[in-house]
Parts: sequence; C-alpha cells; structure tokens
Amino acid sequence: MAHGGHVYSAGNEGREVFWNAPFPSELILFLFAAIAIAICAYGFYLRWQMWKAIGRPENRTDSTGERIKSLLLNGLLQIRTFKDAYPGIMHALIFFGFFVLIFGAAFDATHYHLPFLVPFFNGGFYLGFSFIMEVFGLAVLVGVVLAVWRKYVQKPDRLGYRGKADAVADDAIALLLIAGIIVTGFLLEGFRLYVNINVDGFTWGGWSFVGYAFAKTLTGVSYDTVRILHKLTWWIHAFIAFGFIAYLPFSKLMHIVLAPANQYMKSLKPTGYLEPIADFENAESFGVGQLENFTWKQIFNTDACLRCGRCQDGCPAYLSGKPLSPKKLHQDIKEYWLERVPVVMAAKKAAAKKGEEPVIPDPEKAMVGEVVDLHELWACTNCMYCMEVCPVFNEHVPMIIGMRQYKVLMEADFSPELQLTYRNMENNSNPWGIGTHLRAEWAKDLGVKTLAEDPNVEYLFYVGCSGSFDDRGKKVTIAFAKLLKEAGVSFGIMGGEESCCGDSAMRGGNEYLSQTLAQMNIDVMNGYGVKKIICTCPHGYNMIKKDYPHFGGNFEVYHHTEIIADLIAQGKVKLKKSVQGLFTYHDSCFLGRYNDIYEQPRKVLKAVPGMKLSEMDRNYAKSFCCGAGGGRMWMEEDIGERINDMRTDQAMEAKADTIAVACPFCLTMMSDGIKDRQAEEKMNALDIAEIVWEAMGFEEAMETETPSETA
Amino acid sequence: MNIVACVKQVPDTEALIKVKADGSGIEEGGIKWVMNPYDEYGVEEALKLKEANGGEVTVVSLGPARAMETIRTALAMGADKGVHITIDDADEYNTAAALAAVIKGINPDIVLCGQRAIDNDSTQVGSILAELLGIPQVTIVTGLEAANGKIKAIKPIEGAQLVIESPMPCVVTAQKGLNEPRYASLPGIMKAKKKPVDVKDAAALGISVEPKAKIIKMTPPPKRAAGKIIGGDDPAAKAAELAKLLREEAKVI
Repeated sequence: MAHGGHVYSAGNEGREVFWNAPFPSELILFLFAAIAIAICAYGFYLRWQMWKAIGRPENRTDSTGERIKSLLLNGLLQIRTFKDAYPGIMHALIFFGFFVLIFGAAFDATHYHLPFLVPFFNGGFYLGFSFIMEVFGLAVLVGVVLAVWRKYVQKPDRLGYRGKADAVADDAIALLLIAGIIVTGFLLEGFRLYVNINVDGFTWGGWSFVGYAFAKTLTGVSYDTVRILHKLTWWIHAFIAFGFIAYLPFSKLMHIVLAPANQYMKSLKPTGYLEPIADFENAESFGVGQLENFTWKQIFNTDACLRCGRCQDGCPAYLSGKPLSPKKLHQDIKEYWLERVPVVMAAKKAAAKKGEEPVIPDPEKAMVGEVVDLHELWACTNCMYCMEVCPVFNEHVPMIIGMRQYKVLMEADFSPELQLTYRNMENNSNPWGIGTHLRAEWAKDLGVKTLAEDPNVEYLFYVGCSGSFDDRGKKVTIAFAKLLKEAGVSFGIMGGEESCCGDSAMRGGNEYLSQTLAQMNIDVMNGYGVKKIICTCPHGYNMIKKDYPHFGGNFEVYHHTEIIADLIAQGKVKLKKSVQGLFTYHDSCFLGRYNDIYEQPRKVLKAVPGMKLSEMDRNYAKSFCCGAGGGRMWMEEDIGERINDMRTDQAMEAKADTIAVACPFCLTMMSDGIKDRQAEEKMNALDIAEIVWEAMGFEEAMETETPSETA
Repeated sequence: MNIVACVKQVPDTEALIKVKADGSGIEEGGIKWVMNPYDEYGVEEALKLKEANGGEVTVVSLGPARAMETIRTALAMGADKGVHITIDDADEYNTAAALAAVIKGINPDIVLCGQRAIDNDSTQVGSILAELLGIPQVTIVTGLEAANGKIKAIKPIEGAQLVIESPMPCVVTAQKGLNEPRYASLPGIMKAKKKPVDVKDAAALGISVEPKAKIIKMTPPPKRAAGKIIGGDDPAAKAAELAKLLREEAKVI
C-alpha cells in the first residue's frame, strides 16, 4: 500500500486515515488520547469541587428556554463578542475555525470507525469537505495572528492595568497550542499530499489549498524523507492536541467551557437587579464581608473572567484614574479564592470525617479592605457598562454593592459625606437634609395639586429629591409640570408625603435605609391607589419600577422622556418655537443601559424645530457615565480626574453647544463640568423637559408679561 | 469606667417650627425629632472612653414618651443601657435635678452632656447637674483624655485654647469638634431594641416638677421684609438712590 506515491488520482479523491502510521500507532494514539481526556476530566472535577466549596446557593438553571436562547446567541453566534470589532473578529476566526475543525475531525473519525454512519467520504464530497476544513483552519491561524498582534504588539491598555500588561505565561501557551495544532495540521497535510498525489500543476489536491501549496514547495525532496517528516509531525500534532486537552481545565482555555456555561447561567433578572435583604431582624450578617457571603455564581464569575478588559474600556472609574477596574476586581477576588479554597476544602473534609460542623480558619487577609481596596469599592458609579459589555455576562455591580453593604450595615465604616447624606435621608427624607416641609415649594404657584387634595388623577408625578430641592432640578420639575398641564395630562404629586426614592442609599450599601424610604413611599402611593407613575429622575424611575415590587409597590412607571415622546406623537404637545443650537444627548446610565430607553429622548429632541443633534463617540449602550450614580453623587471625588469633566470634554468634542440630559444627577454633573471647563458662555446643559417646554413657545408670553408687573 | 451620657430629644434643625397660637410653645405635629447634636458628641465621646478603658455607658434622657427613640438611637450607637425620665417638660433646674437623682444611683466616673440643647439654647443643664452632684465641671470641650482618675480637656476660648485638668468624677459638656459621631451599624440598631431601658417618673425619683423658671410667651421672629431692587439704567442715579434709602429708610448710614 505504502509504495512510491500517487495512489490517489482523479476520480479517486480521498485520503487514508492513519496513512503512514502503521500498527501500533493507532493504539498508542488512543491510549494517549484517553490519558489526555482523563486529565481534562479530572481537572474539571477538581475545579467543580472548588466551585462547590464556597458561596451561598443561587438558582441559575431555571427558565431553560431563555437560557438556551442566550447560549445560542452569545455562545454559538457570538453576538456579544462581536460588539467590539477587532477582538470580536479575532475571536470569531478562532472560535468558528476551531468549531468547524472539531466537527470535521469528529466527522472524519465517524467515517473511519463507523463507516455505516458516514459511508460517503470521497469524490466531490471529500473535496468540498477538505476545502472547508482548509478555510477554517486558515481562519484559526489568522485569528491567532490577530491575537498575537493585539496582545504583544498593539498592547491595548485594557489587556493590562494602568500600563502594566497582564503578562501571564498561560496566555502565550494557549495561543501556541492553538497555532501548533493548526500549523502541524497543515504540514501533515502537505507531506501526505506530496507523497500521495502528483502535485505538479493543479490537481484535485488543490482543494486543500494550504497543504497543497506547502506540498509544492517540497518538490525534489525524496518521498522517504517526507514520510519520515510526516511521521514525526504526525506525533507532534497528536501530542499538541493532547496537551491542549489536558491543559484545558488548568488554563484560560477553560473558558471554552466556562464562557458558554456563564452565557447559559446569565442573570435573567432586570438590569441592575439587587436581591433585597429579607430579614433585618434575624439575619446575623449583612452584605459581603467574606468570600462565603458571595453566591457560588459570583465566585464562579471571577473564574470565568478572561481578562479581556472590555469592562475596563468604558469604566468611568478606571478611565478617570481611580483604582477600580472591574477586571482587576474579578481577578483579585479570584486569586483570593484560589488561596482560600484549599483551606476551606480541607477544613470541610476534616469536619466531614468527624461528622462535625466545619470550622474554617480565619483568612489572613480581609477581603473587603485588603483584597479589594476600599477606594476601589467606593469608586463604582454603578453605571453598568461592565455588565453591558462582558462577553461572559459577569455581574460586577451586585458584588460591589454587596461589599458596600458589609461596610455600611455591619461596620458603619464609610465616608463621612455619605454618613451625612444618610442622616439627612433619615431625618428629612432627602440627601441634602433640607426640611421635608419644603418638598413641594416649587409647586406653590403652579396650581399643581397633591394627591391629598385630589387623588382622582391618572398619573402620580413622583418628583424625587433633586426635582424638589435642588434649585437647578426644580426648574426642570416646573418646566415638566407646566408641560403636563398644557398637554392636559391628569396628574398629581405627593407633596410633603413624598420621600426619597432610596436609590442612592441602596446603591451605596444602605439597604436598611433604602427599604425604609421605599416602604414610606409605597404606603402613601398604595394609600391613594396610585397605578401609574411618572418620574423625571431615572434613579427613582428604576428604583420604583424594579425594586418597589419587592416591598408591595406594583406600579406602571414611566420616565418623563417616554411621556413627552408620547404626547408629541399624539399631538398633545406641539413644538412651535424654533430652538437653535447643536445639541448632544447624554445617555443617563439608569435610563439607557438600565432600562433600554435610548430612542425616546432622541425622538423628542429630533422633533424640536431648528435643533441639530450631534452624537458623542460614547453613546447609547456604550455611553460614558456622568459620575453620579451608585451614591457617588454625594461623595467627594478626590482621586484622579473628575468624571463629569471628562464627559463634558466628550460633549465639546462633539461640538455641542447644549448638552441635553434626561436625569437631574446628569444635569448637575454636566453643569458643573461646563463650569469646571469655564465654558459657560458657549455651552449649556438642559433637561429635555426644559427644551421641549421652551419649544412649546409659552414662555415668551410670560416674559412679555413680566415687565408690566414691575412697571 | 462607668460613664453617663445625657441626651435630649430636640426638633431637627431643618424642621418647620410653628409657634402655638397661645404662645405657650411650639406645634409638635409634623416635626422630625432627633438627638440634640451636641449630645451626640457626648455619646460618641462616652463610647470612645468605653472602648479605650472598658466599662459601661448609660444614656439618660428626660422627656415625653417619644424621647425613647433618642435613647434607642444612643443605644444603637453602642451605649449599653438607658434611663428614661418620663417628664414631658421641665425647666433647666428640674431637668438637672431629675438627671442628678438618676445619676447619683449610677455613681459614674464621668458624665457627658452636650454644651447646650439646640431647642431652648439655655446652656444650663450640664452646669446645674455638676453643682447638684457636687462634682467639678468642664464646659464646651473640644478635646478629652481620661486616665488615672483625671481628665484633661481642651476648651477653646477667644483666640486661644485652655487645657484643663480635673479629677474624676466630673461633668464635661461637649462642643462641636470633639469628635465625629458614628453612624449606627445595623446589628447595633437591632441590638438596641433589646437593650434595657429603665423608665422612671418624677414621683419615683422624688423630685418636684414645679418650675423655677417659666416661659411666659413664645413668639416667632419677626418676618423679614421683602428686599428692594433699585431700577433704572444710570449707575450714578442708582447709587444715589441706594445711599438715600440706606440713610432714610434703613437708617444705617
């Protein structure tokens, strides 16, 4: 059989499996394959034990249909990975390449071992098959080259931390193994083609174009030499593949399993969801002070993190020079977990032997404060960028809030500004601590009724603290209230019965205060039989919509941009007056990423006559936070650059003269940013309600009235 | 160290204060009641002394039923037990006498009070208390050390600060700057609900509620008149008008 060569000719296309690999090569191959698979299985078994060892229970295997959908979209079709072009394509080349090659190999093996299943493996089918395998093999190689280029030449910041690259040998080994399999595969193919068919000119071997091209370069080399080279390469190829399999559970290659697992087990809860603390009276501890206070899934997430750094790429804390990087946070906790898990497992094992409750030795390092620096913990604005872009659906923000809860509720150790804020919320139900009786001052001369005066209204306008107490915020509230009245919307306010929504308290770790405030609001709202609520503040909007249902508050909640868009569409709000200028719309995190409201505000702005809209580079789901979320509104920002100033710069780059916002926190931050940049003369920040009210053209009439009053 | 902290419940500084029509006091409806901020410094200092030296902190408060919330607030911060003297209202002397009656039984090493309460601003209770207990007093203190039966206190005065030493037991009244009162932890709040609070009335303490000083009438401060904006375009004329008004109407020049 194995004679001089050219056994396969036209009409006899195909290849001999195990060509040039005489007995007992096959047996040896299977033996080592079995060993590699056993190591791989054992590796995963060990990891499984580790995942099981620490963490609170959490169900992530419900709603199978939805989970399979996520797996297909994000795992198989790589939807989320593609959202970032270069790494998306790079990964897709390797992923799809490998995927096809593995199925190809499996197909090949089935044909060989179970020929009755795949009897057709020659002729045109074989050529097509070879061609496809060739294309995808090449794709993997291109992908690896792109990866090497990115990691070792381009070196984007996100593949490191503050200019220091994540230099891990594992990264290089993984790429080498992948490249090794493909390169040796092509070499093998070339050697085989050279010996088995005539490679002069174009023959059917050309369908395997990479191997064929290589085979052509061998012209003149003796068949015997090539046979030896082939045999050698065959074993190298096999052992690299075995190495790959065995190495998998001990390396970043594990993501081949963990990434789809995480895509399957992703949170199906609404964005920003936080599990409320249920029993304050009887719980022994609150929040996350120790690794074991995380859920198993949160710890699993740290293991699934591949250091791709997408989170870091748009993290306002990181980009403004604060110590937080969502990636680093995960990696630090993972490292700590790797230290702690053997200790915990050993303690549990020893206890199980004696049939006792395990006594787990105290860690040497505190997790909150040492593993995770407090500045990292408090730098997060809860903007949700990290969770929006993480290809494996890790959930950074709830982990951060969990640790904040520990610092606030258990240790009462947190920044004095925030302590003051919380005291103010406790005493006057607003973060500024302004007398609660002044809450509805803005409404005094507008004829806006409270629910106490008239509960028979369609909407409750939940004004919130900024809209009630902040001078700038009050202007928005007044503009919006006038707009509603003009449009004939039936609404009322809670007046002095309104409390702070609780968002800043919740996201700043003070769940107890947050729930107290929420409960106060819910009792009043339910007392008046409120069904529909409008909020001008996305924080209150998000909180009432997603968190109040936990405490018996079930309402239809709308943001004012949704209502305004609707009123314009219905013709109830008519925009008559031209508003000149180049606007840019700043997406509020709690509106955009949290609630997917991107289009309504833009639709409203586009309806304003005379207005031109210019988008900032970072917009929609990749918008840059103003810096005020997650309780940061009430805290000093003394590390790095101010986030609001950075955002203001971005608006300036868009050449905007007005930053249109839809959130009172954003409004404050953008107004301050404009002041910091000393651009007050050429730039302005306005809420959409103000712009619309202006464009409705009623204010002019009022302006002409004013002089006559003073005259 | 056996420590007593006296606390008073007062209206929140931001609360809307309305004087009753008959001028006998303020309308209490809708008011948010809080611990007198100066007393908070006292409680915080008491807790710090306890943390440094061991011992026990007892909070004592005189007031109506609602004053119990303020005692619980101090307990949540970390005080060990409370005494609630259920007298609705008392003048400064009677308040001090009631506190003294309770504190004598506790036999403390140090008593901490706020330098004054922000409601009536009389700045007397701490001093009268020290007199009634027959022990030294150091008032308006912004720094405190206690060791070996003595205290060393810092008291700011105009342009300088005094360092005052006193033997213990003594009464110290706390001024802003003494410390930053802590935020109660949640376990602290939960535990506070179960900490013991003794409730005593005037009869049990054997003291009189007949006031030595009476508030005859309470009136709100006069309303501020609306400001005046001087119109016109000529700055010189505007300045002349301003000068005229300041002299003739405001009578300040």
